[in-house]
Amino acid sequence: MSMDFSEFKRLLGADPRNRDPAFLQARDSSPEFRDAAAQADRLEGSLERALALEVPAELLDQIRDIPRAAALHDDQGAVRATWRRFAMAAGLLIAIGAAGVTWRMNSGWESVEDYVIDHYQHDGAAVLARADGHLAENVSPMLAEFGADVAPELAGLVNVIKQCPTPDGKGIHMILNTEQGLVTLIYMPKTPVTDGEQISFDDSEAVLVQLQSGSAVIIGSRVQRVSDLHSLVQASFVAAAEKT
Amino acid sequence: MISESGRQAKFDRLATVYGADLYRFAVWLCGNDALAKDLVQETYLRAWRALDKLKDDGAAKGWLLTILRREYARTFERKVPKFTDVDQVVVPEDSELEPDERVEIELMRRNILKLAPKYREPLLMQVVMGYSCEEISSELGVSKSAVMTQLFRAREQLKTKLQKDGITGNVHGLF
Repeated sequence: MSMDFSEFKRLLGADPRNRDPAFLQARDSSPEFRDAAAQADRLEGSLERALALEVPAELLDQIRDIPRAAALHDDQGAVRATWRRFAMAAGLLIAIGAAGVTWRMNSGWESVEDYVIDHYQHDGAAVLARADGHLAENVSPMLAEFGADVAPELAGLVNVIKQCPTPDGKGIHMILNTEQGLVTLIYMPKTPVTDGEQISFDDSEAVLVQLQSGSAVIIGSRVQRVSDLHSLVQASFVAAAEKT
Repeated sequence: MISESGRQAKFDRLATVYGADLYRFAVWLCGNDALAKDLVQETYLRAWRALDKLKDDGAAKGWLLTILRREYARTFERKVPKFTDVDQVVVPEDSELEPDERVEIELMRRNILKLAPKYREPLLMQVVMGYSCEEISSELGVSKSAVMTQLFRAREQLKTKLQKDGITGNVHGLF
């Protein structure tokens, strides 16, 4: 039985590349069917061209490098696990320094501490695993979106950089390759913090840094001394136009 | 038990065969190039860690797409503002296109990002990932009939929006 025009139009709109014999036969069954098929083909061609984005060449290299980067991260995890056996404290410990800041949370976290712990537990290990020993090349352009930049002393340590959620909108998640090993740095463009406040959770240690514009948090393992990086981070973040 | 080199080779194949399509799918899903790259890398990191669970190589595409969609829902949909600015999407220079064709494609891109997720996602699965209606139905957990309705409406909305943008039958005979 031949396909009626309304059924044909429905199929044409839902699945124009359908290879069903009845559908293919209907496409050429009359001028009305042919015109409808030709219009659908033109729309489909336009749609396919619009969706066909060029894939960044470095992305596929980064994907292929994931096993090696993951192995590197797992080795670091083993070191931390050894340390954990000797740790006096168990479970979650949050050491809160000076209080008094009212957090402007709008994304489901009740405090910056909440955000730091939640975000790092979710994303921290995966981003660390991407560090491949190569300097990130897009540090300034990515920070420029937030009107910020960093001094060369800090930019020269950035191994991975990506956008991430923060308590007050988008921010930047970086991995720094420091003398102490890989350390996470998250830039929160619109979030105020209590400068120098420390947060301890799992086997990680974090320190908050108030910047001229926005804030940052440095996160590492407890065997690392992330507080030592506080001054460098605080001095390195500048407004985009101020960089010399 | 698969050897480490076999595991690496299997992973390389997954990256080579599906990496580009997953990236394109991710870009149009979240409307942001940087987030799409993150999403794809997260997907492959999770895939690497769970690679032994993939017993049938023929199911790899669906397996990866499922990981990507779950990761998107978990990470980005919940806590990150939506990006619907096409300027945040990496768009290659279509140097071989005529100016009016470029306009048409630019408008098409903007309108794709304006589609509601329930229409955009099945359309991306079909056009970018090459899924059949049955496969989309299985991935989304809805009936094939519902998928076909969503796909039909997606294309109808694109046509309507393009007509409103002034892309009419006079230009390339789209309508």
